[in-house]
Amino acid sequence: MQLLVDKVGLAFGGLRALSEVSLEVAQGELVSIIGPNGAGKTSLLNCISGFYHPDGGRITFEGHDLTRASPHQVTQYGIARAFQNIELFNGLTVLENLLLARHTFSRYNLLEAVLVYGPAMKVGVANRRVVEEVIDFMDLEPYRKALVGDLPYGVRKRVEVARALSLSPKLLLLDEPMAGMTLEEKEDMVRYILDIRAERGTTIILIEHDLGVVMDISDRVYVLDFGQVIAQGSPEEVSSNPRVQEAYVGVETP
Amino acid sequence: MRNPWAQTGNYRTSYEQDTTIFATYREIASVVALLVALLVLPQLLERSQVLTLNFILIYAIAVLGLNITTGYAGLISVGQAAFMGVGAYTVALTAPYLPFYLTIPLGAAVAAAFGAIVGIPSLRVKHLYLALATLAFQEIFVWTVGRMPALAQGASIPVEMRNFLGYEIGFRNHNHFWYYVILFTLVLMVIAWRNLLRGKYGRALVAVRDNDRAADAMGMDPGRTKLMAFALGALYAGVAGGLLAYFQRSVVIEEFTLAKSVGFLAMAIVGGLGTVVGSLLGPAFIEYLQLSMERFSEWIKGSQAIQQIIPPGVDVASALLPLSFGLVIVLFLMFEPRGLYNWWRLVRSYFRTWPFKY
Repeated sequence: MQLLVDKVGLAFGGLRALSEVSLEVAQGELVSIIGPNGAGKTSLLNCISGFYHPDGGRITFEGHDLTRASPHQVTQYGIARAFQNIELFNGLTVLENLLLARHTFSRYNLLEAVLVYGPAMKVGVANRRVVEEVIDFMDLEPYRKALVGDLPYGVRKRVEVARALSLSPKLLLLDEPMAGMTLEEKEDMVRYILDIRAERGTTIILIEHDLGVVMDISDRVYVLDFGQVIAQGSPEEVSSNPRVQEAYVGVETP
Repeated sequence: MRNPWAQTGNYRTSYEQDTTIFATYREIASVVALLVALLVLPQLLERSQVLTLNFILIYAIAVLGLNITTGYAGLISVGQAAFMGVGAYTVALTAPYLPFYLTIPLGAAVAAAFGAIVGIPSLRVKHLYLALATLAFQEIFVWTVGRMPALAQGASIPVEMRNFLGYEIGFRNHNHFWYYVILFTLVLMVIAWRNLLRGKYGRALVAVRDNDRAADAMGMDPGRTKLMAFALGALYAGVAGGLLAYFQRSVVIEEFTLAKSVGFLAMAIVGGLGTVVGSLLGPAFIEYLQLSMERFSEWIKGSQAIQQIIPPGVDVASALLPLSFGLVIVLFLMFEPRGLYNWWRLVRSYFRTWPFKY
């Protein structure tokens, strides 16, 4: 197993956001996490990516312990994340936003940076090449030198995913990449997600509210409700599970 | 065959080329022309004018540093003059034993160390609260120096340098000699600034300024980046302080007070935050403003008609300087927050296609 989340708990004061959540993701899998609002999906993602530290349980990724790791350490282990509410750098161009993500791959020191010619240039060009591949992959060529703040919402969402991809991750965490998109944009995004997995072999964890999308593309689905995993398995198993139906549509009272 | 001198955009065809700063021959030519002009300039000016020029260039170095801390990393620092003081006092203490090309880098290193220490609160507090922390350092610095017998309790400490490699520096050529040393240092510091900030370090600073949560997720350590921003900014201030010590032939605490720190912030804002051009224009503008206000108040003192209007006991001259200073900053913040740099940018883009409209 590439990612192991073992009985993770998280509390904010008296509110238990997560209790004994366990999750296993294998290399190359596309796993979705679904659940009603406030079920703890984003909290779980925050625990994995180091923004929150769980108060119980353990998270490991390829042997690295993530339980107490800070976000930049988690990133260095090969986990990238696209945020739910776009957290791009609005004052920078698309290209700069993506180059930013190459920070950990830029191994040169202050002196080499000042001298420019030499390692800094070589690394810079190599980074540019990687980023250009991502731009090509996500069809962002028209926006390369545009300021992110000026771009429409759908494109910014795509840049957000592209930036995560520029980190050359082994595991990609996508937090509602299709929220607020039109049907056409959603179809495009689904295509990108499937292509990322097919071409790069990246493991993907997807949080999404559009159940149609989730059931179509996921290998396995975890269902969270009130901070607990209430069901897991293939899309068919999960959608026929009575507890899931109860969480989503409620129970009929006689 | 296209004429490279008539080029109006960039013809870059590789990623290597896209990392260069200047896209056209005309841009390179204009920088060379500026440098030549700066080299020739002191020969055409009087000693007192070179003096002003020297102050402008020294302040430009300090403002370049502030543009890393405040302009790039967005950490408001009102301690830049104190960092300058750290560099100057290091020079004052080591100048009797070491040549200036060693004492100034040493002063810069000590200032950078102080910068990193003062930056520690930035790991916890943000915005105005951080500004208060740097303000505290500024005040502690002045207070401490004023009570240290080793530093003459803030009174003047002489910094003498009479000759350089057999070249006598006397009363007549002092200003000119230091002008060239300062100019050379400034050029080096500008090149270093530009190179440093167009790579990963510049991007990291901007990332931490705009959204340190996302910066963290991009694999950069926001804490280390902030400390680096403070250390680099203080390093530049240290260099400026060292040069100031030699140029003024003494170190006095009055040069490194809170008023000076605020002045640097004003220079950075008036010039345009986060730009090289702004770091040069800002100090020039503020220094020129100060000079013309001094001249104006001289004129007021000499004019009988105005003296009759002013009630006795009121000194208009001393009130004019802070008044004009405050007015300029407020006007800039209101009408041109991007500073003089923006005017320069507009003029430049106009001449790019000149004499054609498009």
